[in-house]
Amino acid sequence: MVNKKDMKRITDYLYEIPKEYREDMRVPARIYADEKLLEATLRDRSLEQLVNTATLPGIVGYALAMPDIHQGYGFTIGGVAATRYPSGVISPGGVGYDINCGVRLLISSMEADEVKPYIRTLIGSLYRNVPSGVGQKGSIKLSPSQMDQVLEKGAAWAVKQGYGIQGDLERIEERGAMAGAEARAVSSRAKERGKNQLGTLGSGNHFLEIEEVVEVYDEKVADVFGLFPGQLAVQVHSGSRGLGHQVCTDYVRSLQEAVKRYHIELPDRELVCAPLDSSEGRDYFAAMAGAASYAWANRQCLTHLTRRTFEQVLAGKVKNWDLTTVYDVAHNIAKIEEYEVDGRRTKLCVHRKGATRAFGPGQPELPEVYRAVGQPVLVPGDMGTASYVLVGTEEAMKASFGSTCHGAGRVLSRKAAKKQIRGDKLKAELEAQGIQVRAGSMPGLAEAAPDAYKDIERVVDVVQRAGLARKVAKLRPLAVMKG
Amino acid sequence: MPSFGFEEVEHTADLALKVHGHSLEEIFANAACGLFSLMTDLGNLSPSVHREIHLGAPDRESLLVDWLNELLYLHEVEEEIYTRFEIETLSSTTLSATAWGAKMKDSKLTVKAATFHDLKIRETEDGYLATVVFDV
Repeated sequence: MVNKKDMKRITDYLYEIPKEYREDMRVPARIYADEKLLEATLRDRSLEQLVNTATLPGIVGYALAMPDIHQGYGFTIGGVAATRYPSGVISPGGVGYDINCGVRLLISSMEADEVKPYIRTLIGSLYRNVPSGVGQKGSIKLSPSQMDQVLEKGAAWAVKQGYGIQGDLERIEERGAMAGAEARAVSSRAKERGKNQLGTLGSGNHFLEIEEVVEVYDEKVADVFGLFPGQLAVQVHSGSRGLGHQVCTDYVRSLQEAVKRYHIELPDRELVCAPLDSSEGRDYFAAMAGAASYAWANRQCLTHLTRRTFEQVLAGKVKNWDLTTVYDVAHNIAKIEEYEVDGRRTKLCVHRKGATRAFGPGQPELPEVYRAVGQPVLVPGDMGTASYVLVGTEEAMKASFGSTCHGAGRVLSRKAAKKQIRGDKLKAELEAQGIQVRAGSMPGLAEAAPDAYKDIERVVDVVQRAGLARKVAKLRPLAVMKG
Repeated sequence: MPSFGFEEVEHTADLALKVHGHSLEEIFANAACGLFSLMTDLGNLSPSVHREIHLGAPDRESLLVDWLNELLYLHEVEEEIYTRFEIETLSSTTLSATAWGAKMKDSKLTVKAATFHDLKIRETEDGYLATVVFDV
């Protein structure tokens, strides 16, 4: 276990585990946290996992952890690892099983107050119209050729089928389809699992929330993002479903042989990887990019179902029930990006596992409408408190490979949460606070209880003070739907 | 030894099982039982379907991960929950087994995959012990 004495304090919000801590580390590890969040991190094995990622061949700079860091398997959750392209490695474990698990934020031109009388009906209808929970199928059945198109064209495929508008695509990371995606690299098993899951939310921590913008911190940027106080918003949190799980399973397994072939020594088998320029590395990247595109298509279909439900419930009752996409971000992904390394522009493979891209102003990858201010960063909190919209910064481009936090981060195990918190009691408590809840499983609801997470305000405060992103707006849930 | 040969152990974000068995065959069967008991209450199910599974892997840890991930794949595409496992032949690189189960009704949890993290099958005084971490 890593101890506090093994660490060096760099600033009030940044700590370092030096390269000398363990012989096999290729770079130091750095953790963005304040004293209190650091204490929480020392209680589980997340820092040991962070040190393990610092051993990856080709890793550049630091193995980084965001303040929402918590223990995962292989890589820590809330971690960022950038490897040199193409001589460094790519690791499926550095992305995780839910490839491109991510968030989309939709906003309405309405004030939340206008819709509050219909919130119960809205969340009830969303619960009926949006398939959620374990093993739920959607209404879209993909033929083999349609599946290949989804994997390579992503959200654009969904928009072409009528599940959205062109304007949505402008405001999705990678425009909703990741370059380099190849359907041939995705196994028939993964395609089988994904063929009837498009437009389904899933279970676990996935959710659909109706929210109100309760605070605006930066009026200028909020205005560019289209946000105003009192506004009605919707947040969708889902990923690549069984298809992504199978892609990761397939490649974690097949790369077990590759590490032997390339003589890569690893402290944990879940960190398996392959050089980016090897056939195994290229195949995984192509499959991962395909699964990421599938996830963007999925959130596009979920957006469509949400819009249709809003129309069903609100037509004739309010003037304008339209929902506009603010942005859609990935929380689990590996991407080829360029950064300054030792004074030279260098191509890197940035693994973000439970971390969000947070590009600062001027980046050509950003939609024109946001380019002057920076990228919207969506940080969902737990269902009882708040979520944040942040904006990416120049500092993040220099310090964290354009990355920041992705959520609150767990502190309580699912087992402990279920033991301490009863789902039905939690539902009643949230409803007493004015938050409507629909959930497929009460134990499942208890696992994601607010007490199971770190304080989101503190997490967001640290990334702001460290300069990795700036607060733009805060959203409070009005109704939550969980699988 | 705990009943059913498995117990849930603390893990911040995911789920981990400690699996006990007098033999390797029991480790494989108990790990599978543990996996499905995380998802649903197995007591209510009487087996009505069966799936034959044949696998090959480079070592016994990989074989255990493959076995559990094979069951997760079948669970999702066949919409079945498995409750009883007969391990017919098992070496450190091959496995033939039958999983008995029923159509899935309610399942409370999606297990995304069995991982290689911290995975070890160890010999103990009275048999074997394995720890498996699942991504949920």
